[in-house]
Amino acid sequence: MGKAAAVEETGRPARSVADLLDATFQYWALAPALLLLLCLTLYPMLSILRMAFSTIDFAQGQFLWTFTGLQNWRTFLEDWLFRVALRNTILFVVAAVTVEMLLGLALALLACQIQMGKSIYRTIMVLPILVPAVAIGCMWRLMYNYDFGIFNRLLVALGARPLAWLADPRLAMPSVILVDIWHWVPFVFLILLAGLEALPVEVLEAANVDGASGWQRLRLVILPMVGPTLSVVLLFRTIFAFKVFDEIFLLTSGGPGTATEVVSLYIYKVFFAENRLGYGALLAVLTILTICAFVGTYRWTRLGSRAPWAS
Amino acid sequence: MCSHAKRLRILTRLSIWAVLATSWGAPIALAPVTAEAAQPARPTKDLFLDVGKHPPITLLINQSPWYGGFEKVVKLYEEQTGNKVTLDVSPYAGMLEKARNAARGKESPFDWVNIDTQNTVEFYLGGFLAPLREIDPDFRLDPQVSRYDDCLFWNERTQWRDRDGVLMGLPVQGNVNLYYYRSDLFQQAGLKTPETWDDVVAAAEKLGKAGELYGFVVRGERGNAIRYDWMSYLLGVGGSIEKDAPSGDFTVTVNSPQAKRALDFYLSLAKRFGPPNSGAIGQNDLIQLMTTGKALQLNMVAAAWPNMDNPERSRVVGKVNVAVIPRPADGVFATPIGNWVSGIPRNIPAERKKAALAFMKWFLTFEGQYKFAEFGGIPPVRMDVFDSDLVARPEFRWMVAYKKSLPYARQVLGYKEGAQVEAILGLRLNQAVVGELTAGKALNLAAEEIYKAFQQGGRRTGLLPKLPE
Repeated sequence: MGKAAAVEETGRPARSVADLLDATFQYWALAPALLLLLCLTLYPMLSILRMAFSTIDFAQGQFLWTFTGLQNWRTFLEDWLFRVALRNTILFVVAAVTVEMLLGLALALLACQIQMGKSIYRTIMVLPILVPAVAIGCMWRLMYNYDFGIFNRLLVALGARPLAWLADPRLAMPSVILVDIWHWVPFVFLILLAGLEALPVEVLEAANVDGASGWQRLRLVILPMVGPTLSVVLLFRTIFAFKVFDEIFLLTSGGPGTATEVVSLYIYKVFFAENRLGYGALLAVLTILTICAFVGTYRWTRLGSRAPWAS
Repeated sequence: MCSHAKRLRILTRLSIWAVLATSWGAPIALAPVTAEAAQPARPTKDLFLDVGKHPPITLLINQSPWYGGFEKVVKLYEEQTGNKVTLDVSPYAGMLEKARNAARGKESPFDWVNIDTQNTVEFYLGGFLAPLREIDPDFRLDPQVSRYDDCLFWNERTQWRDRDGVLMGLPVQGNVNLYYYRSDLFQQAGLKTPETWDDVVAAAEKLGKAGELYGFVVRGERGNAIRYDWMSYLLGVGGSIEKDAPSGDFTVTVNSPQAKRALDFYLSLAKRFGPPNSGAIGQNDLIQLMTTGKALQLNMVAAAWPNMDNPERSRVVGKVNVAVIPRPADGVFATPIGNWVSGIPRNIPAERKKAALAFMKWFLTFEGQYKFAEFGGIPPVRMDVFDSDLVARPEFRWMVAYKKSLPYARQVLGYKEGAQVEAILGLRLNQAVVGELTAGKALNLAAEEIYKAFQQGGRRTGLLPKLPE
């Protein structure tokens, strides 16, 4: 009765508070989670941004924040070591992720053909991901050991000279990239394998019937269909590789010289070892911005547009 | 008259001899008795200090080679006193952050934090630790407890760790670098324990075999490792990082001709006698090389000693000995201190502070320190332990060299920019070891960067003329 009267008076249905709540229920339901997310991400982000324009000292048991404007930026512009770290990081990301993607894809394509013992090889492949980073660092450090390591023992057995894997500036970066590849290829492999196994069999059979060669099937059928999965893996691996820390910290600590200095490790040293909180915050902000810029660019490219979320 | 004078002369001479004999003889005769009365050679149960009943405490302690000894001595404290102690054990890499978070927070979860000596300034300067006489106005540091170049005190006026300052912490473990060598091979070759750099080089030349037995190994890994390792060479030639920091003169002197000489010698040791991976060798690698019999000589912290005689870890049990780090022929003995200092956070209730101090009082007694050493806590921090019966035991043969080294032991980087200076030196020295920079270039670059760090810290600073590169 009331509703009908309201329609009559205004000429259109009047919306009660209950209707409004009903219509916006999804937003209210999301609000607590969003609020929590804002608190957990926005507040630290704002705090670190504030730190980036300050110096922080400690006296009388208190934090002493001093706004120093662009002083940290001036330090940044003169900081040659950060530039070296950035260059090394980019080199690390490009080399490690490229090999991991190619190797992971190749293994996934091979594994697709194997029908027997699936659970066995999957278990074996997943092992490196399960090993804690500390154990990986210790294990590979031992294997790379100049006097007792397995690699040098093999080299000597083959009549070659042993190599200073982690002490030679020319070898140190390839050595840590190798560890990263060993660690993360299984991750790429498992996700791509899942993607490949989910492909519609009819399309592949149709390509067979049409007489497509193996290479044509791969290039024209499989890769375009597995493209969204590839995009996701590539994005994740790139971001993770950009933030690489544990492997390098445990294997070389950035040395010898600056050969394996990377951005995350450098920020750690500035922040925690040298206790330069303001400048460390600035470097952290710049790193976050770099990753955001990468993700943004990625999404705008053709590759990014293939990702499941792009639609 | 004549005979009377003669008798008088004889009497006078006899009196003089009697006085001399008494003055020399009495202390000699009394000495052992006095020493024994003042200090027992080993502790007895009754002599352990009664510190009374206290609430439970939690200590932040590092997982270092001497930790086993500390853990056992803590158990003994619990048995002796009935007071409960919980140990929060952390690897070295996480210690500083845990201590910082605890001391900077509202209330520390730890009643006692263990701090690497080079990080103590940050805690003293920041006001995060309670001065010990604020907790117990009657507390006095036992004269037998080593001061480790006064790193336990903070002088607010001079902003320096000196004895005129306030007592802020107590020593837990007293690392200094020692010279480790294969005494069996030296003996076979008829070589005496090296005292100078020349002796070291001669031994390396005579006994070192490329690929089989490295004549000398340096700890050349980037960072704290190489900075700490190089200090004995720099200090030995009379060099320094800054001119006179305690007096406020922070003129950078790390690119002095003396420093160049120290680095040149260091590099020659690494290149001539060390393994090709000298630039990546850390403390664990040194221990490995020594215990596997692949190293003839090296400098390493005293705390690494237990590995040498441990048959489960060492192939050279009883074949290694230690000595004071050799000096240049025209230089001085020198070794850097790398001790640990315990501090009581300011942000805990008074009764917990008292409980933490009670533990330290007990720990620093002769009995506590003797047991600490006996359980593998190397090195203890009381000097009278080095005069105890432990010294006669073969496994404690390191004690003689350690005691001899202490007068030459020095603290470095005792200022707020210390961590930055360490990072700079740790990188530039390592670059010289791996061949990226010449010694002159490395020191010049280090000097410029340290100069900037001092400038930013508002120090009175300056630079020396550049070295030829």
